[in-house]
Amino acid sequence: MSRVVITGLGIISAIGDNVNQNREMLIQGVSGISSLQFCDTRYSGLRPCGEIKHTIPSLKEKLQATEPGVTRTSLLALHAFQEACGNAKLQLSDIASPDTALIGASTVGGMCLTDELYHDANTKEEGSPYLSSYDCASVNLYLQQRYGMKGIINTINTACSSSANAIMYGARLLQQGLAKRAIVGGADSLAKFTINGFNALHILSPEICTPFDQDRKGLNLGEGAAFLVLEREEEVKDKTVYAILSGYGNSNDAYHPSSLSDNGDGPQLSMQRALETADLSPLQISFINAHGTGTENNDLSESTAMIRLFGAPPPFVSSKANTGHTLGAAGAIEAVFSILNLYHQEIYPSLQFKTPIETTLLTPVQEYRPASLQHVMSNSFGFGGNCSSLIFSRLI
Amino acid sequence: MYIHQHTCISAQETFENINLDIIHPPVGNKLVAKEPVYKGIPPGILRRMGKAVRMGAGAGLPIIENYRNINGIIIGTANGGMEDCIKFLNQIIDYEEGMLTPGNFVQSTPNAIAAQIGLMATNKGYNITHVHRGLSFENALLDAFMMLKTNPEASYLVGTVDEISAYNYNIDYLDGWYKSELHPGLSLYDTGSPGSIAGEGAAMFLVSSNRKNAIAQIRDIQTIHTTDHAVLKEMLREMLHKNALHTGDIDLLISGENGDIRLLPYYTEVTRIFNNTTAVVRYKHLSGEFPTSSAIATWLACGSSLPAHLFQSGYTGAAAKNIMIYNNYKGLQHSFILIGKSFGS
Repeated sequence: MSRVVITGLGIISAIGDNVNQNREMLIQGVSGISSLQFCDTRYSGLRPCGEIKHTIPSLKEKLQATEPGVTRTSLLALHAFQEACGNAKLQLSDIASPDTALIGASTVGGMCLTDELYHDANTKEEGSPYLSSYDCASVNLYLQQRYGMKGIINTINTACSSSANAIMYGARLLQQGLAKRAIVGGADSLAKFTINGFNALHILSPEICTPFDQDRKGLNLGEGAAFLVLEREEEVKDKTVYAILSGYGNSNDAYHPSSLSDNGDGPQLSMQRALETADLSPLQISFINAHGTGTENNDLSESTAMIRLFGAPPPFVSSKANTGHTLGAAGAIEAVFSILNLYHQEIYPSLQFKTPIETTLLTPVQEYRPASLQHVMSNSFGFGGNCSSLIFSRLI
Repeated sequence: MYIHQHTCISAQETFENINLDIIHPPVGNKLVAKEPVYKGIPPGILRRMGKAVRMGAGAGLPIIENYRNINGIIIGTANGGMEDCIKFLNQIIDYEEGMLTPGNFVQSTPNAIAAQIGLMATNKGYNITHVHRGLSFENALLDAFMMLKTNPEASYLVGTVDEISAYNYNIDYLDGWYKSELHPGLSLYDTGSPGSIAGEGAAMFLVSSNRKNAIAQIRDIQTIHTTDHAVLKEMLREMLHKNALHTGDIDLLISGENGDIRLLPYYTEVTRIFNNTTAVVRYKHLSGEFPTSSAIATWLACGSSLPAHLFQSGYTGAAAKNIMIYNNYKGLQHSFILIGKSFGS
């Protein structure tokens, strides 16, 4: 089976509008978590988030997105999509080709328009311009329409692991000859809906989150989008290859609708399966970008799973205190970070950590450092026990 | 890819005591699912389930009872638990973001269906939810197809759920996708007006690479986003060619025609590609229109024989060998599913 390589990256998050800005902020250890400015909710001062400090009109203008019914989620997706396609030197004809797949993830879709949705769902009056923009698929359908894409298009929603599964699905399309290239990733924007949902579950932190810390108080939500261009190795010619997507694993924890098992069965299985598809042993993993949301439940379950699989886990970080938890975009955003780790042979610090969890005693890397990395794992775990792990490898 | 078991909860008698000769007409422009008594689900858990999760688990668990060692659960749903989703949204607005209970929020995420089935079956295998609106089922099938290519010994539960909630009905109604009323006595297909009628349901399939004792074979799945009739027809011709079939080899076309005058030309064009040796079946007057209704068509294709009243043309009473399903969701998302019923065993 031919190897799947990454030839393009695009990202927008609370720490930057493009790949270079994100990398710079990661190196400097800057957190993008702050009080909400643009998302209208009574929790704006109470639950800090990783908000992208651009208004919808400014995004529309920058992207020349004048179509009616475009949502913030679609705008963020378009922003990252354009960067990734440009980075991979894709022509418009390449993007539209029947050989190009688009696999995107979203969990919020157009539900960021809480008030419009409330109106359209409950009243018989004339609808808003967003009637066909609420579902998760609307984001990718917008990109499909804008670029006249004729290949396989799909939208995946497995909650917080959605875009890791989108990356996996795209890679499998390439390996099975169903596409020549796949633009894969995810997008989610901050919404009153998710802020209230996670708040009702009592897992939103009142401060900047502290992943893997004994005294962690929950997660911060974030927003963003990231896309990767995947191509088969034999077809990339003289393009820059950032990394190989060498392994992927998906599992279900089958324990509880909204929390992970204490022994981390699901996370352990997804990491194990990723190692199997990559044909690697645990010892060969140089570094992990953990899911590390900063909730009591996730960080304990993930730590336990890492110890079960690795014994002494390799160096690891969580980037959630940088960007917030971007839900359906998280897997893709952290895939970009993992690829930057590999490509630049460096580790970005995990922020906000003070004290290891008593029972697991794991300590994330807390300072920037150059590092010799060969295989990097990225974890994403979601509600419904949906666990996914990806492995990226350095091209040698 | 072969289908070994299939279940369906719909507005008709499609679950357990299957009887397609009884026809339940739409009520108030909606074809609401006839939900069975869910025997396999403990009452405490059943009470907390939203309708989408309930129908999905209800249709999926009888298959899992027979196939306990499946390697994963692959679900397609455009909206998942829309009713719970908007209930939660309404609480947010009505109580001005006060203290809310998270139950509706957790049930509203589309992956809750695959998750709930995985949880009840303690299945730690592959678990995924495709939500690409009118192509959610097709992407789920394609996913299973790829999984079986790499794991030939495996088997998967593949299926779909979508529900009519008061809210998504309202949104799609405002957007012009449902008729304002359906005259009694007038067939859905003869209205000559835009819009269709709303439907809902769940269909589940056990798929594997094992040909022996299979009910049907999914030979190919093709999807495209277009409004160009020529592109669509070309895709169908290429698909037939790729599968070494002539139009005359397809003895049954299951058409997703839904009474929306705006979509009729697509169905007419596709039907015209075939000649009169291909019978045509329509089913949306029984299922209603919803994003994953092509799964109902696939369930129908798995049946041993279809009653004469489903046929628009070409009914012979003989069992079909090669079946093509064509569906078009809202004029943009098109799919062809090729099903074989004659493959030896």
